[in-house]
Amino acid sequence: MLTVARRVRPSGRLWNPAADVYRSADGWVVKVDLAGICADDLEIAVYDSSLRIRGCRRDTFVRDGFSYQQMEITYSQFEKTIQFPCAIDQDSIAHEYSDGFLIVNLRCE
Amino acid sequence: MSEILENTNPVTDNGEQPASVEDRPATNRKPGQPFEIAVLALQNTTLFPETVVPLAVGRPRSVAAVEAALATEEKLLGCITVRAEVTSTNQDAGTADLYKVGTLTMIKRMERLGETMHIIAQGTDRIKVVEWKKDDPYLRAVVEILPEVEIKDPEEVEATKRNVQAMVQEALALLPGVPPEVRVAMLGSVEPVRLAYFLGSILNLGVEQEQKMLEADTADELLRLAHGYLARELEIIQLRSKIATEAQSEMDKSQRDYILRQQMKAIQKELGEDEGGEQAEAGLLRERLAKADLPEEVRTEAERELKRLEKLPSAAPDYHVIRTYLEYVLELPWLKSSEDKLDLKEARRILDEDHYGLEDVKERILEFLAVIKLRPDTKSPILCFVGPPGVGKTSLGRSIARALGRQFERMSLGGMRDEAELRGHRRTYIGSMPGRVIQSIRRAGVNNPVLMLDEIDKLGNDYRGDPSSALLEILDPQQNGTFRDHYLDLPFDLSRVFFIATANQLGPIPPPLRDRMEVIALAGYSDMEKLQIAKRYLLPRQIEENGLKSGQLTLSDAAIELLATRYTREAGVRQLERSIGSVARKVALRIAQAEVEAVSVDADDIHDYLGAPRFYPEQARKELPAGVATGMAWTEMGGEVLFIEATLLPGGRGLTITGQLGEVMQESARAAQSYLWSHANEFGINAEMFQNYGVHLHVPAGAIPKDGPSAGVTITAALASLYTGRRVRPDTAMTGEITLSGLVFPVGGLKEKILAAHRAGIRRILLPARNEADIEDLPEDVRKELQIVFVARISEVIDAALEVLVANPPPPPIVTSGHPDAVSRQSEPSQAQLTVKQG
Repeated sequence: MLTVARRVRPSGRLWNPAADVYRSADGWVVKVDLAGICADDLEIAVYDSSLRIRGCRRDTFVRDGFSYQQMEITYSQFEKTIQFPCAIDQDSIAHEYSDGFLIVNLRCE
Repeated sequence: MSEILENTNPVTDNGEQPASVEDRPATNRKPGQPFEIAVLALQNTTLFPETVVPLAVGRPRSVAAVEAALATEEKLLGCITVRAEVTSTNQDAGTADLYKVGTLTMIKRMERLGETMHIIAQGTDRIKVVEWKKDDPYLRAVVEILPEVEIKDPEEVEATKRNVQAMVQEALALLPGVPPEVRVAMLGSVEPVRLAYFLGSILNLGVEQEQKMLEADTADELLRLAHGYLARELEIIQLRSKIATEAQSEMDKSQRDYILRQQMKAIQKELGEDEGGEQAEAGLLRERLAKADLPEEVRTEAERELKRLEKLPSAAPDYHVIRTYLEYVLELPWLKSSEDKLDLKEARRILDEDHYGLEDVKERILEFLAVIKLRPDTKSPILCFVGPPGVGKTSLGRSIARALGRQFERMSLGGMRDEAELRGHRRTYIGSMPGRVIQSIRRAGVNNPVLMLDEIDKLGNDYRGDPSSALLEILDPQQNGTFRDHYLDLPFDLSRVFFIATANQLGPIPPPLRDRMEVIALAGYSDMEKLQIAKRYLLPRQIEENGLKSGQLTLSDAAIELLATRYTREAGVRQLERSIGSVARKVALRIAQAEVEAVSVDADDIHDYLGAPRFYPEQARKELPAGVATGMAWTEMGGEVLFIEATLLPGGRGLTITGQLGEVMQESARAAQSYLWSHANEFGINAEMFQNYGVHLHVPAGAIPKDGPSAGVTITAALASLYTGRRVRPDTAMTGEITLSGLVFPVGGLKEKILAAHRAGIRRILLPARNEADIEDLPEDVRKELQIVFVARISEVIDAALEVLVANPPPPPIVTSGHPDAVSRQSEPSQAQLTVKQG
């Protein structure tokens, strides 16, 4: 108790990417702040009314002779689940990668 | 905001809990798959999974390990603690010094500050070292992830968790300043394992216990450990809090006092009563000190004390002690003395005005005055007046002071037992004061008063000390120039003080003390002197004290004489004054009732005023039987006449002595008998009488103890009279010490003795020849009426004291040999008897 000053904190999720959700004319558009993700490391899935995005960001920038002076970007696995009020049409999912954002288009069933 | 987004539906908040967000491990490493990573050795701390910890990394090998971890894509670093028993912290730990179980962490942030790297590491999984790969330039090992902590008995785990949370709550109540997120993390709906690990990382348990927690494989054990450690920690926190509270409350009280005192000061200031408190007081003292006339040593000491005083708050207990001390020092007349009046004629006039007679004393005082006049820095004498009560010793002291123009202070030593009363108590004692001597000096206000030490013969002494020993210093002119009172602890010059001691007897005064004083004996007054004193001093004083005017009461000489002889018995004049006072009061009553204008009291009237005479002084008997002689005794009350009676005891033996006689007196009786026995022929005594008759010697007033050698002559006379049958002359009294060889030695107290004998009607007195000089002390009127015979030998005493004729023939000697003649001899009139009669 006396070492609260050690500033140990219980860990939350390592990395929880931020996401915006737009309502469109025929469904939803989800924009996730996911820069530097290799497409192979990304997995998008839909279960009924929820969308799950998970993957892993790796630091592939390291070269021989490099060493860090400062590191602030989190490299880790992540998982983001978003609930919707209606079931999602599995087949309607389309995603693209634009300017470091992952854009997912969804339609309600 | 992010929390909300994570857990609730941002779009349709329908109150439904979202499917729990899986908190997946940050790596995709699975238990049982060994892999190689860089390892950071932790000193004195343990990193637990599910915690985020900032770490400062400074050692080259550690920095290398972190850099190696950062160079990987996943930023994974193994953190393993150095064993508790490895104490050296300067050397890099070898692989053997590390525990086998540690924590896999992911580096979240890194920042360099100079040589040091600051990283924020997040514990993810427990790992176990499978194999050490290398330890240079950094530690590297093959590790495998341990399986997640297993919950065996979920109920027990939950119960323990709740207990732990309750304790955490208690602890938090005593620990202000714990960040809210930490509170939430511990008290919210938190997983038991996570709670345990978090507690493990903040409780500061020490490496060994932390490692135990880290190595626990089941949640049950992990929580039990956490519970136990927390319980102990809680106790410590409670104890600390209790101590802190107590200290706080103590502080509060003194703080409160301080605040109240400040307020009081403010109020006093408002009321205009503020003198600036201690500062002003000290300032005042400093001013007085600057003005005071002090010896250098005293000034130095006083300034030292004043400096101490200035540093103290007025509430300090020492403050008042020092202040009182300083005031005392400043009040004492260190260098202040009164000027002596050196007019001898005037002094003589004052002494005569106050006291009748006492020529000796007056002359001594005038001598002293003369010496002072010739040599002003002379040391004052130390006088001791010895005499019976009421002869005016104390008032004589007062009168001396008046004649010299000095202050008079009197202190009674009667019954004083404690040396500290004279010399004071040391300042360390509570309520300590200077001794009586210094107090008297302060009262007098000058350093050369006449200081009377009354009743010096009545000093006591006990285990607390002997005041007479303290007096030795005070009364020694060689030493009292630097008299040190315990309280003052500074030398005070007493050498200019005129000490006068008074005593009733010299006997009880210890010889060393007696030796320091010039003893002046004040004898009792004769009736004649009493008459003069009464007329000159007592009567006028009593007339005034009883509110009469002069002329309203006159006492004839005869009346005063009657008062002195029949209503009082004393050497002094106190009772006489009281008797005159009684008469004066009764007269005052009559005058106040307007019965008469003025009263003249004669001897015949005294009976009406005071009733029957109280004393019938021992009068000379008109006729003394053989074996009785008149002696004279000295008492504290003056002199007295006493009769010594002796009688023969037929068939008795030796000398029986009664009448409370002391040893000296008994011995002189024995000496008297022996002398007569050895000179039986010379005095015409039948020597056989000493063998055949016992003698009983008695001195009346049997209840009063008597002692001294001066009755020797009287006893001899009584015995001689007894053995010879010649009576002692009834008009003759005698005194003197005898020796076995028949000499008569001088004795003391003659004046009182002779006055008493004269009062009793004796007109012929036998005195030791060597006392002839004492006769000069006698008042003229008494001497004229007396026939004084000086004797040097016992034979002269017998010639002078005994009548020539045998008035009471002694019985014949008894023959005790058992001879048949004895009876017949006894029946016959004695031949010897006849012979003596004729002689």
